[in-house]
Amino acid sequence: MSSQVNFTFDGESFKGEHGQTVAAVFIESGRRAFRKTRFAAEPRSIFCGIGICFDCVVTIDGISNQRACLVEIREGMKVESAP
Amino acid sequence: MIVVIGAGPAGLAAAREIAQAGESLIVIDSQPRIGGQYWRHRGEVSGYKSSRSQNYFDEIFTNPLITLITGAYIWSAEKTDTGFILNYLRGGSEHQIFATRIILATGAYDRSLPFPGWSVPGVMTPGAAQALLKGNGVVAGDEVIISGTGPFLLPVATALAEAGAKVSVFEAQSPFRWLKSFPALLLNPGKFIELLYYLRKFFVYRIPLKFSYAVTRYENGSATVSSVSHNLNKSGTHWEVKADVVAVGWGFQPDVTLGGILGCQEKLDRDGTVIFKVDAHQQSSIPHIWIAGEATGIGGADLALIEGEIAGRAAIKKRIGLLRRFTRFRKRLFAKALQRSYPVSDGWQSWLDDETLICRCEEVTQRQICHSVVQLAADSARTSKLFTRAGMGLCQGRICARTVNDLVSVQLGIVVSDDERIAAHNRPIAAPLSLGLLGGLQGDGKKG
Repeated sequence: MSSQVNFTFDGESFKGEHGQTVAAVFIESGRRAFRKTRFAAEPRSIFCGIGICFDCVVTIDGISNQRACLVEIREGMKVESAP
Repeated sequence: MIVVIGAGPAGLAAAREIAQAGESLIVIDSQPRIGGQYWRHRGEVSGYKSSRSQNYFDEIFTNPLITLITGAYIWSAEKTDTGFILNYLRGGSEHQIFATRIILATGAYDRSLPFPGWSVPGVMTPGAAQALLKGNGVVAGDEVIISGTGPFLLPVATALAEAGAKVSVFEAQSPFRWLKSFPALLLNPGKFIELLYYLRKFFVYRIPLKFSYAVTRYENGSATVSSVSHNLNKSGTHWEVKADVVAVGWGFQPDVTLGGILGCQEKLDRDGTVIFKVDAHQQSSIPHIWIAGEATGIGGADLALIEGEIAGRAAIKKRIGLLRRFTRFRKRLFAKALQRSYPVSDGWQSWLDDETLICRCEEVTQRQICHSVVQLAADSARTSKLFTRAGMGLCQGRICARTVNDLVSVQLGIVVSDDERIAAHNRPIAAPLSLGLLGGLQGDGKKG
């Protein structure tokens, strides 16, 4: 649980503990907006926290619509804000 | 092969029962870890009777008869002449298992109601705050308001306070409603002890707890807390409370998608929740499918455990016994008391303004829902959804389907039948997947 994992979000470096989810590391680091909505460009964050609502979706290593609240961080992972 | 879908309390209880009787089985769950939402610990986490999970976890990890598949999302299921084909995604690739018997224990998620500002970062469900803390060791915020209704608000509040957050709780209902459920309380004395356990923590951490209040708006880091009547209409006083996190939950909603795909008969529970019909053996309307836990009626982990045990035994034709039946009866009585004590009536609809989002995924506002009925003459909830796209986003209406039905039926006077309410929770495909992946599959569900 103590091993540290480094990854990036839109080019910015983040680090968390092995076993933490992407969303958890963002919240812990004070980064609350994960993406902007398609129509109103409003910021969105974690909402249901258990993979139901899809509000926290991000692009991970090129694959879109990944739920940040479910995906655990991996070394060198490249997370991008959904377009 | 018996397949248990869902590794929360109900699924784990069923699995243990089956494995201890000497039958092999598969346990499959969408989360990376077992335990469901209730037992999603990373390590030791305090909470009432939280060590109970260890027995079940030990069985799953050490019994060679149990094959565990985690992080696997079942997106489709088919019934064949000899059993059931379950297609699932795991780590981006497609897999398939065959089941002769299924135990469905797919659990539930927080029920959310819209209010102005509920899509702002910082507003989340109590389940999300709990998942961040128990699953990740992350405290959601410094100043946290917990609101909504139901006993789940208590453990979330105490866990966050214990972790260092400044917590206040606004429960929409009055505790005196419990006086209507005396027999349920007498038959479940353990619940008193559980209540005392949490109330002691409220005292220790000095967590303010106010009844008959709800968060009705959130804007610029400030929550509007309004006094509400038992039917959730605002009743006069309100004030602003500073908070960086507002965790609001209105009880729970079971995920009925998979059972729906398999054709298991559904019904509306007393409180309007879509649940499955099961018999005394937890068997669904489809032979060889048993259903346990929240999907047969929201009742919490204790009820889920006994239902899982009964479903597991039924699946291997073992006697249920009077004691188990009585335990289930008493837990169901308590579940009924929960519904009576924490009702969610339609008063929340008066909190909305025109620009309040109803469907978070498709960004559909209250104004658009009204427009679809008043201007476009939508004459059913379904037509309103077709006009507005409410409920057609990535979450497939899991968050807003019931809300849209409630809105059009109450505010706009459209009749929403039970069948329509049930249909709103049925999805032909259980999870969004890419067309590329779907295109790579042949008609029989196998990879081409």
